[in-house]
Amino acid sequence: MTAQLSRRDMFRYSAVGLGGIALAGLATGCAPVAAGGGSATKAPPAGPTNFDFVSWGMSEEATKPALQASVNAFAKKDAIEIATSSYPFNDYLNQLTLQVRGGQFTGAAQLDVAWLSSLAALGKLDDLGAKAEGRGYTDAALQAGQIDGKQFGLPWTIAAIGLVSNTELFDKAGVSQAPATIEEFEDALTAIKGLGGGIVPYAASTKTAQLKDILVWMQTFGSPIIDGEKCTIGDAESIAAVTWYKKLFDAGLIAPDVDRAAARALFSQGKTAIYDDAPVARASVLKASPDASLGGKMAPIARPVKKAGDTPQELLWGHLLVVVDGKGADTAGDFAQWMTSDPAQTISYFTALGLPPTTEEALASSAVSGNVFVDAFTANITKDAKASPLWKYVQYGQMETAIAEQVQAVLIGSASPKDAMKAAGQKVQSLIG
Amino acid sequence: MTTTTIGRRQKKPHSSNVRAARLSEVRFIVLLLLPGTALLVGVVLYPLLRSLASAFFAESLLYPGATWVGLQNVIDVLQDGFAELLSQTLIFTIGATIVPFIVGLALALVLNEQFRGQRFLRGAFLIPWLIPGVVVSFLWMWIFDANYGVLNGVLMQLHLIDTPIAWLFNTDTARGALIIAKSWNSFPWVMVMLLAALQTVPGELHEAAAMDGAGPIRRFFAVTWPHIAGVAGLVILLEFIWNFQHFDTIFVLTGGGPAGTTQTFATEVYDTAFKGYDLGHAGALGLLWMGLLLILVVVYVRFSERGEK
Amino acid sequence: MATLTSLAVEAPSTQEHVSERTPTARRAVRRRPRWALWTALIVLGLFAFLPVYWLAVTSVTPERDAFTFPPRLFPSTVTFEHYLAVFQTPAIFEYLRNSIVVSTITAVLSVAVSMYMGYAFSKFRFRGRKSLMYFVLSSQMFPQALLLVTLYVVFAQAGLLNTYQSLVISFTTFTLPLCVWMLKGFFDTLPDDLIEAAKIDGAGPWRTFHSVILPLAAPGLVAAGLFAFVRGWNDFMFALTLAGPEKQTLPPGLVNTYVSEAATAWPELMAASLLVSIPVCAAFILLQRYLVGGITAGAVKG
Repeated sequence: MTAQLSRRDMFRYSAVGLGGIALAGLATGCAPVAAGGGSATKAPPAGPTNFDFVSWGMSEEATKPALQASVNAFAKKDAIEIATSSYPFNDYLNQLTLQVRGGQFTGAAQLDVAWLSSLAALGKLDDLGAKAEGRGYTDAALQAGQIDGKQFGLPWTIAAIGLVSNTELFDKAGVSQAPATIEEFEDALTAIKGLGGGIVPYAASTKTAQLKDILVWMQTFGSPIIDGEKCTIGDAESIAAVTWYKKLFDAGLIAPDVDRAAARALFSQGKTAIYDDAPVARASVLKASPDASLGGKMAPIARPVKKAGDTPQELLWGHLLVVVDGKGADTAGDFAQWMTSDPAQTISYFTALGLPPTTEEALASSAVSGNVFVDAFTANITKDAKASPLWKYVQYGQMETAIAEQVQAVLIGSASPKDAMKAAGQKVQSLIG
Repeated sequence: MTTTTIGRRQKKPHSSNVRAARLSEVRFIVLLLLPGTALLVGVVLYPLLRSLASAFFAESLLYPGATWVGLQNVIDVLQDGFAELLSQTLIFTIGATIVPFIVGLALALVLNEQFRGQRFLRGAFLIPWLIPGVVVSFLWMWIFDANYGVLNGVLMQLHLIDTPIAWLFNTDTARGALIIAKSWNSFPWVMVMLLAALQTVPGELHEAAAMDGAGPIRRFFAVTWPHIAGVAGLVILLEFIWNFQHFDTIFVLTGGGPAGTTQTFATEVYDTAFKGYDLGHAGALGLLWMGLLLILVVVYVRFSERGEK
Repeated sequence: MATLTSLAVEAPSTQEHVSERTPTARRAVRRRPRWALWTALIVLGLFAFLPVYWLAVTSVTPERDAFTFPPRLFPSTVTFEHYLAVFQTPAIFEYLRNSIVVSTITAVLSVAVSMYMGYAFSKFRFRGRKSLMYFVLSSQMFPQALLLVTLYVVFAQAGLLNTYQSLVISFTTFTLPLCVWMLKGFFDTLPDDLIEAAKIDGAGPWRTFHSVILPLAAPGLVAAGLFAFVRGWNDFMFALTLAGPEKQTLPPGLVNTYVSEAATAWPELMAASLLVSIPVCAAFILLQRYLVGGITAGAVKG
């Protein structure tokens, strides 16, 4: 429906000099187009000033205490006040977009790595390049906060969304702990299904909200998703991936009505042997589990590949801190820098919440490397993590919805994988313009 | 209507006295209408016109500026599954209007009887209406969940089904689930409105009809219905309008799925505006939507005016 | 069927009880099939209250048991830890306060605005009356998601974002159609002679309205106010967008607190929801007579 619009958009936005919607890729090397950026020529203020900080973690029960403590520590250090606020995670990006667009919010903001290009498109984010220098961030982490060479976000926590398995169920079913290829993976799932008891072998996402997980399987099957400015969904590889997904679905190896939350619940109950997640949810999974020893059975494994020897495809996941230009922006930048790279702060934050830090120093610290789960997660999954090829498009949210709807159509049997993926590809292409 | 006298009296403005009186009455009426009209213009009409104007522009939520594109957005929207969207919206709207109406009417009839505890129940049945709406959506999501929901649990324990049913993952059951969840939240106010209307039915009429040997169903249509038809019409109209633009339940419960088959205008507009940042197409959807509902209102107006005469 | 029969047997005793109190109703009541009444009541009661029951059960289920399948209809372990946790979350009570403030002011303002409008529609004939009435009615139709974007800009320009005012003004406007219609219906039932008489006594139009008409309309005003209250009480989207974090009302507040990036805290969400709904439910159960009575008077068309 938006084919016409997007092309016109391209023209119009370039014409106004604000840059096209095709923001430079995070990890891909596609043609750079200028994205909006905050003014870099403002006079530095005399000293620390008060500023606002918005984060969805500021009201969530699990994260609020640790976050509030960090905020208080920084405020005390500089003898300033930090006004904090929050929105529910699912509505966060919309609300922040409205606020920033309307000039209602300036200061520091938490962002999911996937949201950066949308928010940066508003043209009000500060380039934090100077703040990132010499702080020891890993290159991969820094890249996650870059658009077009500009450091719009400082990496706060970087990991991936990878497969987390229940070793006990794998053992019971007598299968290899880490299936290397798709065939082995499927065999493992079938064996686990054989355990009975209503077990969902693989709690793969099937609800719209997280069906974007299918993209990484398409990549595993060999579809690049985006090639240059062309969407490749609808090619043989993506169709094969969805055909495979449907096969798992029909065989009861994956289940209907599963989103991230449902998968976590199933895992906590020992009702699923494997699911996709980021390290962020480990604590809540364990908290909801009647099995006190589940923590020891939770093993992150590399995503199986199509041919033995291929590099596993993993999706980057993480949080950034960005600074919206305006009142208090300078101190907010210092705060973002301190929060994400101060050695003591990063380690205490990791200790409290288990979110992997982003500096070499913190990653090498005994607190982090001594954490078996995070260590294994990094070694097996995060090392191969890449940004989604769709994130560079501001309309990536709508693209994901369009793809999810078509995959669901396949799952409920109302469309063939071929037709559905063709339609999904066309829709995404029309949104690219 | 008993109220025409005053208006009619004003139709002979000859002497200056009468004229002055009429002027002051006009001022009085204007002042009566002013606060409400001001609110409607400021909070609805002005934003509405601004949003509808977007329908004719390529306009983004993220970038400033807008380019005139004429009817292109409307054409795009019409060509991109508009018929399905309309029928899906109508299914939800009609379902979520009829079900609470039937439940509310049945309850109103029951609670209009005299029995012990009737007064308490009239209050207790309001509870589903008073639990914050978004919690209602989460509650039903919790109940309908395919993997650990209580509905499947109960049905399996009663041996009505062998394996859990994925209620929200099948087009028909997902639509049903949405309608049930929404109806649960809204039937109490229908009940209250109809209960109020039922108080106006004179008891003697019922007795007389009963003497004539009319059964309960005939008595309902012959005696009760004419007295509550006006309120029923208003309730149905408002429910229809509200459901047409209802968002929360669908957003939380199915997110428009499976495969977009429970997507309605409201969720589609939301996706277009907030996921696609595309105010132009969102505005075009809004424009078509307004057009459709205005037709409905005109029909209602014709219908109710005939009723008034 | 067993239940049906036993209910049918039970029925006469209830009937006797009723007939003691209202002998005149006896004949009419006797003719009604009581078993049908009770069956209907039970079926409707199950539909209405089973979800509430499940909400309550979930709220006392230990978090570790919440995802057990099949779920236990009668919980084996009951815990009140979630209620304690809610009491230890001061933010919830701030949300509750915001909700009550916003909903109450909305109710009052809504009634104040719509009584004038309803009175004008009911008792006066003027050019544009019909059009204005339909405009009021159709103002409800616009897609909220789209209204949200422009309304946000409007309130931002007016400097009203993150205030109670923005919520009260929006909700009042959204409840106008229902309230105006209800109150117009109410005023329709009051005879014009009242106005004529007041006029003859030398009362101006304002005094006539305020001291003659309004006191008679009190039940209708209460009913309309209660409806407006619920509108403010239930809203999620506008409350989230316009009120800002500090003035957040319960619906966004509850979601913000319990539905997080990592998981939904079902038992605590349910405990908090139940807890905050209790005062309002209690108030409505007490006031339901006015709710029904208020509309009743309005429903009698002249």
